[in-house]
Amino acid sequence: MSLHKDEAFVLFKRAYGESDKIIRLFTRTSGKIAAIAKGASKSQKRFMNTLEPFNYIRIEYFEKSGKGMARLENADIIETNSGIEASLQKACTASFFTEFVDRLTKEKEPHEPLFLALKEVLFAVKRHMFSYADILYYQFLMLDMLGYMPNFDSCVYCASTIPNEKKVLFSKERGGILCVNCARFIPHTVCGEGVIPGLMSIINQEKQFANIIFERQAQDIMEGFMSFHLDVEFRSYRLLKSFIL
Amino acid sequence: MFYPEPIERLIENLTRLPGIGRKTATRLAFFLLNTKDSYITELSRSLTDVKEKIRLCSVCFNITDSDPCAICRDERRDKSVVCVVEESSHMMVIESSNPGHLRYHVLHGVINPLEGIGPDEIRIKELQDRIVREGIREVIVATNPNIEGNTTAHYIGEILKHLDVTITRIASGIPVGGDIVYIDPLTIKSSMDNRKNL
Repeated sequence: MSLHKDEAFVLFKRAYGESDKIIRLFTRTSGKIAAIAKGASKSQKRFMNTLEPFNYIRIEYFEKSGKGMARLENADIIETNSGIEASLQKACTASFFTEFVDRLTKEKEPHEPLFLALKEVLFAVKRHMFSYADILYYQFLMLDMLGYMPNFDSCVYCASTIPNEKKVLFSKERGGILCVNCARFIPHTVCGEGVIPGLMSIINQEKQFANIIFERQAQDIMEGFMSFHLDVEFRSYRLLKSFIL
Repeated sequence: MFYPEPIERLIENLTRLPGIGRKTATRLAFFLLNTKDSYITELSRSLTDVKEKIRLCSVCFNITDSDPCAICRDERRDKSVVCVVEESSHMMVIESSNPGHLRYHVLHGVINPLEGIGPDEIRIKELQDRIVREGIREVIVATNPNIEGNTTAHYIGEILKHLDVTITRIASGIPVGGDIVYIDPLTIKSSMDNRKNL
């Protein structure tokens, strides 16, 4: 059993027994870990206030080599979640991205770029209210890091360049846009004018949206794509959706 | 181990209780087996009564065996103030501090997007209706001072701000009898923010 020191974000907490807590953390150097914090519900010293979701903390934990849950020994706050609770929309946004990382990563698979992306999102949520474009931007950023990025550059099947047309064909199953020839035998949806260029501009950080109709179409594309490829239903998304559109 | 079927069934049912493993369940089963019949009858009656007689108060949503509950029926309590709590057990704790005049509203949960729990899953709409119906003048939000409790408190503040009602939040800070040396920075900050005149 060895002592590890790391930085982490609290992804999830749950009371366990009379006074313990089970938490999931996304650490900078070891990826996601599950840990038990003994006496965390009662302790006034070691864990008070630290094991709240979205907190950025410094941790010390013991871990048996190979298997089992880590045992959290100490936790200190680096940056609190203070500010996220100020609005339900902020809480939903922070929850969505935290859940995103929690559900799409495996335990003990280090991913520092994703850790830094989560840090950027949670700090940004505290500072300002996210628009749908902001949410999409960070969603694409994380999808890219996790290897799920949809292809908007060329035909996802034959790799041919697609001419600048009014309507673009998108296949959620193939995970990208299609040329007219490939679309004849691959199921697809027809995206309205400007939707795919709009999504591209978000990926390139231009973050501009034309109107609500455009946002709805972009949302339909992303929901279809994510539900097919990730096979995960995000609990926080239903609530977040009620704010963003 | 092979116990007779009724004992095995009892052990299985006891194992379903929170915090009870098979070993403890077996110990409890043998205690029940060897205890007096009168105790078994009383125990089984109280279990049935809990399910049959306990319901939610139609006014404050506290657990009760009579509707409205004893607190809502109490005419001595101030009808213009309502204290909002997460669970009935929290209400009991506040009541044990003998605040005297309070009436309550039990939310039965807090907003927790990570668990998919939004405002519609708890009794916030009922609180809004009650404030208008009963002419409540002050709402004390006594949810836990954690991320879920604070989010719920802010949300309640937000949806009630158009009503003519004072919304207050319970203070958080250094506990009575505590020592500043051992208090974490966040609690100290909260104590400073919520300081009061002497």
